[in-house]
Amino acid sequence: MAVINMAAKYKTTVKEPGTPGVLRMSEDKFIFVPNDPRSAMKLNVNFRNIKGHKFSKDGSKQALLNLTQDSEKGGGYIFEFDNFSDRNVCRDFVGKVLGKFQAVTSSRQNEQPVPEKPAATVHSEQLSTTEMERRMKLLWEDSELQKLHKQFVIGGVLTESEFWATRKSLLDDVVQRTPKQRAGFRSAMLADVRPSTDGRTNKVTFSLTPEIIHQIFAEKPAVHRAFLNFVPIKMTEKDFWTKYCRAEYLHRTKNSVAAAAEAAEDEELAVFLKHDDILANEARCKIRRVDPTLDMEADLGDDYIHLPDHGILRDGSKETADAENELARRTLSQDLNRHATVVLEGRALDVELGDTRTAAEALARSKQELCTETSDEKTNQERLEKVSRMTEIEDLQAPHSLPYAPLCIKDPREYFDSQQANAVKALGDTGAGIKPVDFSLKTEEAYTYLLEQISEVKVRGLNNLVVQPEATLKVLNGLNPYLSSTKYHLGKKPQECVLDMLPNRTKDELLHHWTSIQELLRHFWSSYPITTAYLYNKVLRLKDAMTHIYHKLQEIKEAVQSDFRHQVSLLVQPMLQALDAAFAHYDTEQQKQSTKSGNKPNGFVQ
Amino acid sequence: MKFQIEDVTVYFPYDYIYPEQYEYMVELKRALDARGHCLLEMPTGTGKTVALLSLITSYALARPSPPLKLLYCTRTVHEMEKTLAELRLLHSHLPPTHRSLALGLSSRKNLCVNPYVLSSASRDSVDSACRRLTASWVRAAAAEQPPGAVPTCSFFESYDRAASSGPDAVLLPPGVYTLGDLRALGREKGWCPYFLARQMIRYANVVVYSYQYLLDPKVAGIISREMQRECVVVFDEAHNIDNVCIEALSVSVRRQTLDGATRNLHRMAQEIDRFKATDASRLRAEYNRLVEGLAQRGNLALTDAWLSNPALPDDILKEAVPGNIRRAEHFLSVLRRLVQYLKGRLQTENVETERPVDFVASVSSQAGIDQKMLRFCYDRLHSLMLTLEITDTDEFLHIQTICDFATLVGTYMQGFSIIIEPFDERMPHIPDPVLQLSCHDASLAIKPVFDRFQSVIITSGTLSPIDLYPRLLNFNPVISRSFTMSLTRDCICPMVLTRGSDQLPVSTKFDMRSDPGVVRNYGRLLLEMVAAVPDGIVCFFVSYSYMDGIVNSWNEMGILQDVMQHKLVFIETQDVVETTLALDNYRRACDCGRGAVFFSVARGKVAEGIDFDRHYGRLVIMFGVPFQYTLSRILIARLEYLRNTFQIKEGDFLTFDALRQAAQCVGRVIRSKADYGMMIFADKRYSRHDKRSKLPGWILSHLHDAHLNLSTDMALHIAREFLRRMAQPYDKAGTGGRKTLLSQEDLEKMGEDPMNMF
Repeated sequence: MAVINMAAKYKTTVKEPGTPGVLRMSEDKFIFVPNDPRSAMKLNVNFRNIKGHKFSKDGSKQALLNLTQDSEKGGGYIFEFDNFSDRNVCRDFVGKVLGKFQAVTSSRQNEQPVPEKPAATVHSEQLSTTEMERRMKLLWEDSELQKLHKQFVIGGVLTESEFWATRKSLLDDVVQRTPKQRAGFRSAMLADVRPSTDGRTNKVTFSLTPEIIHQIFAEKPAVHRAFLNFVPIKMTEKDFWTKYCRAEYLHRTKNSVAAAAEAAEDEELAVFLKHDDILANEARCKIRRVDPTLDMEADLGDDYIHLPDHGILRDGSKETADAENELARRTLSQDLNRHATVVLEGRALDVELGDTRTAAEALARSKQELCTETSDEKTNQERLEKVSRMTEIEDLQAPHSLPYAPLCIKDPREYFDSQQANAVKALGDTGAGIKPVDFSLKTEEAYTYLLEQISEVKVRGLNNLVVQPEATLKVLNGLNPYLSSTKYHLGKKPQECVLDMLPNRTKDELLHHWTSIQELLRHFWSSYPITTAYLYNKVLRLKDAMTHIYHKLQEIKEAVQSDFRHQVSLLVQPMLQALDAAFAHYDTEQQKQSTKSGNKPNGFVQ
Repeated sequence: MKFQIEDVTVYFPYDYIYPEQYEYMVELKRALDARGHCLLEMPTGTGKTVALLSLITSYALARPSPPLKLLYCTRTVHEMEKTLAELRLLHSHLPPTHRSLALGLSSRKNLCVNPYVLSSASRDSVDSACRRLTASWVRAAAAEQPPGAVPTCSFFESYDRAASSGPDAVLLPPGVYTLGDLRALGREKGWCPYFLARQMIRYANVVVYSYQYLLDPKVAGIISREMQRECVVVFDEAHNIDNVCIEALSVSVRRQTLDGATRNLHRMAQEIDRFKATDASRLRAEYNRLVEGLAQRGNLALTDAWLSNPALPDDILKEAVPGNIRRAEHFLSVLRRLVQYLKGRLQTENVETERPVDFVASVSSQAGIDQKMLRFCYDRLHSLMLTLEITDTDEFLHIQTICDFATLVGTYMQGFSIIIEPFDERMPHIPDPVLQLSCHDASLAIKPVFDRFQSVIITSGTLSPIDLYPRLLNFNPVISRSFTMSLTRDCICPMVLTRGSDQLPVSTKFDMRSDPGVVRNYGRLLLEMVAAVPDGIVCFFVSYSYMDGIVNSWNEMGILQDVMQHKLVFIETQDVVETTLALDNYRRACDCGRGAVFFSVARGKVAEGIDFDRHYGRLVIMFGVPFQYTLSRILIARLEYLRNTFQIKEGDFLTFDALRQAAQCVGRVIRSKADYGMMIFADKRYSRHDKRSKLPGWILSHLHDAHLNLSTDMALHIAREFLRRMAQPYDKAGTGGRKTLLSQEDLEKMGEDPMNMF
């Protein structure tokens, strides 16, 4: 990002006149140099210390920009600009810079500030703003990731690019996901425009929005075709819609005589009132692809009762509504069916709904594509499969393995924790709190029972072997130490785990360290074999960070209360082991290097 | 799985079986053993069809001689497809040595693959377009002239060539053939699927077709003539079978029909004149044939076969045609007089009801046509049209209707009445005179079926009261039984809603149905339910006009817009194509999780045969009691007939009919015991005992007393509770003493210990 220089007045409060000077803003700090070199009002402030910014409204008395500092440090830096456009340039710039730092600063609340190392910014690469935004969004959404980022990137252990390199898939996911979601049609019948009257005159008002027009096009292909044909060659768009509304009005009032008269006079108007032949064609095309188990059209020719004049004509069940008038045939039911069909098909185009003409053309294009894709064979096959699947009675046989989409939980731990919490809460609510006690009794009973059984078997031996005795013994031995250690602390409630019993702080720390170690180890192991100086440095940095955590873990282990110490050490053990393995690897590598290139005084691999 | 029922090894295509399916099979087997007819009611959602198919197929395999054939009748083509799909599943579980041939049969319209013929839209033009290419005289002409001069159907020609070397050449390999399979096969081999199927039903072990192919005498004559006595006939979903029978023998004549008939007669006269001038010998040959009697019709070319005589008893066919209609001109003048007479009768101002005897007497005195001439009209017309080589049969539908009418009126003296109405009761200002010959006796059409075949099985989910059907259809079942449903959990939840959210009663009684309060209450009910129930909801209304009215009112009130916030709305219309597409979209909306509501009409096409199982229907709301239109003259005449002949009271019959429709509508939500659904009967009249008790037992047994008099808010509460309960995992096999799912071992154990059955 560029650097901005702008003339401004600096003031400590809004009231005072202020010191004129030049405000110079760069990516990480802003400098104010007063015009009068003797003035003491020089400023050199890092943006990290800025919490937010306020500004006066455009057109208000003064063009102010207030960069507020952390609350505990108090106050802010107020700048007055000559005009609003200058102010706005600065405001936008500050907004961007602050936005960038927000991810970092927001996580700073309950932690002590991490010493800043200039090394962190050395490796910063040129990034597009979209990329930046994406990363920031990810950090925002995932608090854990944010913590890691803060600890390692800001802490200088990893560079920004190193950190993100292992998370490319996450970034790509975000990219892919955004455009996929496409809004469909609204369920409401917009095309059924209702006129409003003002009550005094006979005037009727229809109001059409681009959304409504789009729906009209989709639901009434005849209107759509007419629009493409007539506008703007034959009439203006306004005339077109006036005519349409007029036709709709005639239709609504069910005044078929008037409608017929108007249609006879005006052929363009007649288009709107006539039966839609495009729809009829579409229906004919679609009916061939319909599921044969609900194809009622096939019946028409199959029984002779449907021949004219056969069967009982007038017994009240069949109502012969004679189509006396071609114009009055469109009914509400047809409209409803058509509307639901269109909604179900979904919106097939991605144009802005602003311009009617482009929307109409895009719709026409998408329709053409739709018509050409007809792979009859395949659909037929699918249909047959579906029919055979539907005929089967489901509970009389083994379930089918249906294709499923894998469940994707972004933050599994958070999800399961919350689920567990809910479950526990629900249990408490329903008054089933006695249940866990019950359960523990049962385990004890089971335990004693098992003991008895085992002793019995020891005495008498097994007659009929269900399992191999060696295997059983092995399993029992494996289980026993665990049982003995956790018997009195664990297993009382099935939903409980060791972590929940620890003090909150210890638990959080442990979890946090665990993720940090994972992150570090991932980077550590991926750095081998060391081929460049850069990697060497990285490993060094990683090793330092790991040692730091190692010590922290030891501290936790010691600081924890005695009754939890065993559990904590159990938890910490695998972490320490993993770290030990890494250190061991590092040491052997180091030795190898030194023996191989012992003559090189600095030990660096070039 | 495979198990024994007495001495028959039954192959069943699933690993488990419901106990009621097993019982059903046992009863069925006894009926087959006794070679008698039977009547079985089993709740929907217990796998009736597969039990039927599996037992009868296994029975036929166990008793190979004489070969037993299964004629499976469905009401609609899409049900035919469903049945064939189940049959295909069963077939894959049969031992490979026992493969049989099963196929579906439909009209030319659904089977034709000739692109030229297919381009004609309706059924009749497909039929006549086919005749134009395949009639014997057309083919004869094509054979004489250079190839290409007379168009013929290449599919039929190649099929005919293949078939001429013997039936084995075209015999299909064993398997299950749906209509789509037949079409695909026809395209692949270049054979005509329609005639192939017609030929194959003689050799097939299982034939699935529509009711009409057995019940409508016009069709049954040609399609089902060659079926042997050793057939098992199944009428599935047969709760409406009496109505189908009645419709098959009813004809109505309108003014358009008579005008059309006059035109037809005119053209036939021209044709006769032309033949007289060019080929008088043909007419003479026809005359001679008629002298010898009509029975010779039998050996016509396959493609010339015509819809045969409507229900002429066999002995009449052996008689010769009366002398005064043997000559073509004479017959035409008889028809002209008949048409003229009917025209005169239509010009009435009042509604007239007449018995056939009186009508025949009046025809005889005023037009000089006696009963015997009337009776032979249909066959005589058929013969004449063949002689005149008329291929565009759909042009001649009108005169066929007239002759159909004449034959029926000349044949039956009992169980019919003739009703002439000058206008429709509900639209008195539009003159539309109709003369209707309406049949009241359902047993007339089905009698030949009962007489001819050794076992006829009538089955459905709703045949309550089960003793009424033998009376209506006039037969003696050897077994008549109604099964209940054993449930692991209460997976159906019927409710009777009598009051709306404002505690005022709701009903579709004539004086209440247009009350805005009732309309609003119904709307609120739907609105509450769409917000609470997931996936699909089906609503049934009592009639199209009522549905149109209430949907329009809801639209005006804004209720429909609110409903659309939750679910998409689809509506059944009178247009079949549109309804089919709406259904297809409805299913898609349920599949994708969007959820939808389907508005349909009791007694409509959707209520007849579309399943709303699983997520396609979690709730059915029956708005009102679907009574028939009681002011209809035909209904009044039928009720009178029922009272006089069977001593069935009008009110009882109407309630029975309305409740079987309602039960049929709501019964479509359940497909298996793993499925679940709610049913709301929204009318205060359902709470009355005389109405409610007519519901089938399996619904009544789940209708708790607490659910008999609900208001909208209570129903909503019950619905929420029910849905929550259903979402819990459950034990499928049933616990304790009563198992609801049997495995092969269970069945074997039962076989060893027959005392312990159930």
